[in-house]
Amino acid sequence: MAAQVMLGRVKRDTTGSLATLGPADEADLIARCKADDRAAHDELYHRFRRQAAGNLYRVLGDRTDLDDLVQEVFVIAFRGLERFRGDARLSTWLYRICVNVALGKIRTRKRRPAAIGVADLDATSADPSLTERPETPDRTLERRQEQERVYKALELLAPKKRIVLYLHEIEGLDLKEIAYLVDSNPVTVRTRLFYARREFYRIIAGEDPPDKPAAGEGGEP
Amino acid sequence: MSGHVAPHRWADLWAGRVGEPERGVMERHAQSCRACARVRQRVTRASDSFTTIRTQPAPEVSWDAIRARVHWSVSTQRRAAHRHRRPAYGWLAGALATGIAVALVSGPAPTPAPASQPIAKQDQPAPQPAPPPAALVGLVSRASGDVMVDGVRPADLFARRLTAGSVIATAEGRVDLQFGDKSAFSLGPRSTIELRRFDAQTIELAINDGTVDVVVAPRTGGQRFLVDAGDQVVEVRGTQFRVAHDKSATTVACRHGLVAVSDGTGKVLVGAARRVHVASGSPVSSEPVVALSSDELATLAQATPLALPLWDPAALVQNSAPLEIATSGHRDVRVDGLELGLAPLRVRVMPGRHTVETADSAGRFRRAGWVDVAATPHGARLEIPAEPPPTSGITERRHQLHTGIDQPRLGRCMRSIAKAGLTGTYVQVELAVDAQGAVGFLNVIDTDLPSATASCVREVLADVRFGRGAAATWRERIDL
Repeated sequence: MAAQVMLGRVKRDTTGSLATLGPADEADLIARCKADDRAAHDELYHRFRRQAAGNLYRVLGDRTDLDDLVQEVFVIAFRGLERFRGDARLSTWLYRICVNVALGKIRTRKRRPAAIGVADLDATSADPSLTERPETPDRTLERRQEQERVYKALELLAPKKRIVLYLHEIEGLDLKEIAYLVDSNPVTVRTRLFYARREFYRIIAGEDPPDKPAAGEGGEP
Repeated sequence: MSGHVAPHRWADLWAGRVGEPERGVMERHAQSCRACARVRQRVTRASDSFTTIRTQPAPEVSWDAIRARVHWSVSTQRRAAHRHRRPAYGWLAGALATGIAVALVSGPAPTPAPASQPIAKQDQPAPQPAPPPAALVGLVSRASGDVMVDGVRPADLFARRLTAGSVIATAEGRVDLQFGDKSAFSLGPRSTIELRRFDAQTIELAINDGTVDVVVAPRTGGQRFLVDAGDQVVEVRGTQFRVAHDKSATTVACRHGLVAVSDGTGKVLVGAARRVHVASGSPVSSEPVVALSSDELATLAQATPLALPLWDPAALVQNSAPLEIATSGHRDVRVDGLELGLAPLRVRVMPGRHTVETADSAGRFRRAGWVDVAATPHGARLEIPAEPPPTSGITERRHQLHTGIDQPRLGRCMRSIAKAGLTGTYVQVELAVDAQGAVGFLNVIDTDLPSATASCVREVLADVRFGRGAAATWRERIDL
């Protein structure tokens, strides 16, 4: 099953391997959570909190209200565990909740544009393992500006397009995986992704985002 | 392809999703079209930043506050659902009672009273019995010597979750058990304790024999912490104290905070740095509370139970491991700078690399090595070799030192001091010489010389050549 095999990537926890849980342990944890075992709730929270916060942070690009969003994810998760059928890994299921919570947040921002805060990306640094040498200040600034540009462009997309584009272009998920996460079908996701990419890269290229369908491959840059 | 290249195609090119022929066409176009070259550059830069975004670590947020809010939210909802779940026949009984009441007041009625209205008034939620307080779990954080739990020596002592009813006994060693944040007790040698009640509301320990040192985080309203010691009951609200109990007497000593010791006849309060000694059969109220000596206070401080920060028993069991430090004979040890008492012992540590130091016969801690600990039930073991036997060749080495000093060079070192008219100066050094005559270390441990002069003297001493002979480590005071 796609949902079962995917999310080695999705459950990535950049701060450690706490989120990694064997299937038997996972089933046991879920069973204990369903039995309202407070210790199990704590364990689940402890294991997946960083993963959830990281996912939300990367999708949204800033940490405004991140505490509240992490809380929302776990409240939804604990309330919804009764309905969790186990057809996906727990981490995948939580990732799906993160995506939906992030989507809700993006929609709220769209309704209240004054609340938009783009990318406080210097709050944390990039994974040091990716840089062989210490980064120069110029390079850091350049990288930060580039990330801000990406998130600003994402802000201009419709929420659904933004999520799909994020999951595909940044997280590197394929259509089936995205379809599971956004509760849609792969064909719809493909269409949405097509328009999202075209729109996004036009913004990145410095063009105005098209309000109407674009004229195809050979547009004017 | 005709005309310019669409921006998203540059992203495809970057991601390797463009075939070779089209790639060539696009590359050639970018070479001839400055606008497309600029677009390509922008798209490539954006695509490059995806990797950085993907590897952004989770920012630190207030994890504990979030967890508390999540639990509050979930449990509030659960309680509300419980309240709204009406008993299956409650409405029927309510309607029946209301119907009878209406009939009595207003006489025979043509139609029965509508069921819904009185139900709303009378169907109050039945008082629910208070839920039992959450059971506590205790985890062993340090152990030395034989430790028995419920009459057996468990092989998985550090993985055991000790709950109410457990009986812990020690032989010549001790065991520390943590049961909350900044809350733990340490059971001394030849002691037995029972976790009589062990829940969020009441902790009641019963010490049958021996000594227990307890540190307790401040209790909230309604929470109680008791230690039963024979006829006496020791109750605290947040303190560090020791209870020593045997057939003849009970002694309660308080390091900080306030401890109430009571029996059937009365109660005395034992404040910080004080103790009370109650002989068996004597009323506690007749015993004086006396101040602790500095030695007794130091002993209490040394016996502080080991409590790990960020108490989370479920996570600790899985994410920590026992580290066994094996020594020949009993030696004081420190792990990561924290003094743990006499080894051999086992201590709960977090995974990672830990530095272990042991005390030599003079009480000085020296690095014994480091050990990598993985989060497995077996943990890790570090064997510390026996301390080298006391050296017997000090006299010989001391003689070699004094005869080997280059006196003219030493005189040059002291020249400025002598010219200033200062006399009676000295340097005290500590040095070790092995059997081959090599100097293991040479440290200036005390001097009244200026540092430059002391350094010069040390260099002179370091150049002394020792021959083969007995190994020796000693301190030498050299009067200059």
